[in-house]
Amino acid sequence: MSNIDLSRVSILVVEDSQFIRSLIVNSLRVMGIGSIQSVDHGAQAIDFIKLVDEDPMKAGMMGIDVIISDWEMSPVNGMMLLRWIRRHKDSPDRFIPFMMLTGYSEPKRVHEARDMGVNEFMSKPFTVNALADKLFSVINKPRQYVHTASYFGPDRRRQQLPIDGPDRRVLNYDSLEVEVVNG
Amino acid sequence: MAKVSVRFYRIKNKLKEKTLGLGPVDDDDISFDDDLMAKATAALEEMAEDYPDWVGALIQQLSDVHRRCVDTPEQRFQHFEQLHAIAHDMRGQGGTFGYPLISNFSDGLYDFTGTKAATTDKNVEIIKAHIDAMRVVIKSRISGDGGDIGKQLKDGLEAAIKKYT
Repeated sequence: MSNIDLSRVSILVVEDSQFIRSLIVNSLRVMGIGSIQSVDHGAQAIDFIKLVDEDPMKAGMMGIDVIISDWEMSPVNGMMLLRWIRRHKDSPDRFIPFMMLTGYSEPKRVHEARDMGVNEFMSKPFTVNALADKLFSVINKPRQYVHTASYFGPDRRRQQLPIDGPDRRVLNYDSLEVEVVNG
Repeated sequence: MAKVSVRFYRIKNKLKEKTLGLGPVDDDDISFDDDLMAKATAALEEMAEDYPDWVGALIQQLSDVHRRCVDTPEQRFQHFEQLHAIAHDMRGQGGTFGYPLISNFSDGLYDFTGTKAATTDKNVEIIKAHIDAMRVVIKSRISGDGGDIGKQLKDGLEAAIKKYT
């Protein structure tokens, strides 16, 4: 059995409720996450992400491996934060895994977050097992990222399913309009 | 040459290297440490014990803001915003700590205090009914669905909403 060693992992928690924030931070700490920072809302998160990029010593974090963020916060909510990370020119790492934690679990909300490039979606009430499951996916089952005119984020197809009927996809990996970047 | 319109990025999984090392690992062998998971779950449960006290303070805040809705109706818009923010804070959490009724009632309060909510006297009464119901839940430590008392509280709140709408 090869257990995951989380002691070198750094996580940024973005949550406006003090109680929930301390709960997430505490759970992560007990799970063995080596470095955890927390902020109140998206605007603070953006400042912190920039600080880690510019002056990691001052930030107290050498890099951010995963972001766990609440959705509904003010003045900058989780979706706005995610948009900034995935699309803004100042974002230092557009590929950073992003887990959205929210009280909303309606399919419309899930689709909205997915189309903004979320990696994992976790609805409250959360459990330690749910948190561990999502972290496991981020660490062990990362998806390729896709960049099109209207989307940037992890591939929204998690599985390769056989097509029932004719294949109507216009492009495939061999098309000239498609480029695969290995990095 | 055709213009590239789709790019796929297959980047190195640094996170996997950090957590599992560089050697080959069989996916089926990977798991979190069971002891740590059990400890984390226990820590979560321990913190959850403080939940009624914490939420009790929030209910008091709701009550104070409600009083200001009555005393200074000209500032109701701001008061409703405050109530809305507190209700938001509460609604995602009750279920986590074994008090789904708190989530249920704060969900309702959240809807009645949104930006489109009318700041009428009737709605102020409906807000009070929500706060009263929450107060009973915490004072009597009514966890889970609350059985008969839970149902009575829900029915009572629904009746109040009907009366004032």
